[in-house]
Amino acid sequence: MSRTEYQHQLERLREDVLEMSDVVCQRLRRALEAYERTDEDLAQRVIDGDHEINQLYLDLESDCIDLLALQQPVAGDLRFIASTFKIITDLERIGDLAVNLAEYTKRARRERYPDIDIAHIGTETVLLVEDAMAAYATNDADATADIAATDDEIDSLCERASRIVVLDLVDTRGGDDALLEDVSRMLLTIRDLERVGDHAVNIAARTLYMVDNDDELIY
Amino acid sequence: MATDHESEPTTNDAQLITTDVQATGTGRNGEPTEPVVTARDLDVHYGAEQALNDVDIDIPEHRVTAIIGPSGCGKSTFLRCVNRMNDQIDSCRIDGELSFHGKNVYDEDVDPVALRRKIGMVFQKPNPFPKSIYDNVAYGLRVQGMAGDVDLDAAVERALRGAALWDEVNDQLDSSGLDLSGGQQQRLCIARAIAPDPEVILMDEPTSALDPVAASKIEDLIDDLADEYTVIIVTHNMQQAARISDKTAVFLTGGNLVEFDETPTIFENPADDRVEDYITGKFG
Repeated sequence: MSRTEYQHQLERLREDVLEMSDVVCQRLRRALEAYERTDEDLAQRVIDGDHEINQLYLDLESDCIDLLALQQPVAGDLRFIASTFKIITDLERIGDLAVNLAEYTKRARRERYPDIDIAHIGTETVLLVEDAMAAYATNDADATADIAATDDEIDSLCERASRIVVLDLVDTRGGDDALLEDVSRMLLTIRDLERVGDHAVNIAARTLYMVDNDDELIY
Repeated sequence: MATDHESEPTTNDAQLITTDVQATGTGRNGEPTEPVVTARDLDVHYGAEQALNDVDIDIPEHRVTAIIGPSGCGKSTFLRCVNRMNDQIDSCRIDGELSFHGKNVYDEDVDPVALRRKIGMVFQKPNPFPKSIYDNVAYGLRVQGMAGDVDLDAAVERALRGAALWDEVNDQLDSSGLDLSGGQQQRLCIARAIAPDPEVILMDEPTSALDPVAASKIEDLIDDLADEYTVIIVTHNMQQAARISDKTAVFLTGGNLVEFDETPTIFENPADDRVEDYITGKFG
């Protein structure tokens, strides 16, 4: 393979990762929509579509391995492929979390927690993932610090929401199995959204390393 | 050569070695190391053509230093300056300073033969003499008058063990070196180079004529050699430089040393955009 073709392959890899992130973010938005509307059909479509994201992940993983094995990249190219290899794992995990959210939709009794705005937290996390991928797309190292800071705000939202659930449990006497199920399901929903934000920060951290060889955000 | 240094050899090993040199880095064990080979403002011309331009470099001891760069960038010229192999090229003119342990090797009182005993060389193509394996290794000791000072059998065995060849040839030491495989021949040449117990081993693309298995053995050997010797290797194979070297010097067109740093830094995050372009294949 010529070095020109190699450069084209690197460009295609970035484009394919961005396409994967578009699919993942779309699934997350649909899962949130299904959760908000208690739309079980839409939730099921998100669940059924996860294999597509898994296949995108496997294809991109294979592309990365081929480039590493056949082109032995170094310097900026190496950091790009190594970062991409990690970022596609984060995207695949976000896809899994969208599936979790879709599964919660089927059994959620949202009326129990009117003060918890899952839609707001969810939208913030999707925007954060999109911002992280925009930084990756444009080699924007400066944006990565803002992404980490915004994730701290999302963590605070999740912490407040979790506190509402726990206080409700404490205040409720004679709780039954259904209550415990509501509590655990809501806490898992909040935790999963918080983890989406963490994956966005991972993407930003790898982008910072990719662009500036700076591992400050990785650990 | 413009500088005529072929005068009476008067230097012995002790005179070649001085110790008033600043430490320049850390060795493989993290301890500070002194530079063994140092270049300052080194210019080399072949006639009107400039092969090296104002090169400054400090090569640390007991580490593997790789020199990479495109064809014609001066990397082999630099290597050949270190033990004065360029002396044999009439049109070669050397300005500036190239020091071994702080002593300019181009000073008039330096004996090139004594210098080459301390700075051995291995070439691109295996070049054993048409002699027995034993005599190939013993040759250097004999011509340098060292054979009477040492137990020759022990020295040959030590050199062959050092070159990871002893186990393969110890029962055929009287066989011709030319009967060995290409990889074995190159290790025989390494044994010949280390037999006089040098401090520095220069290698000019030592695996480019070998198959991957033989090359792999040489690479393993180079890693082991750095425990006892300072290794400077010119290679066109950047992956090889990345695999086996501790430090990498990148020469680019015009004989300019553009960047010299720890090998992981060169291959993960080079400071100079031209180096990035070269090692990623965007510039040839």
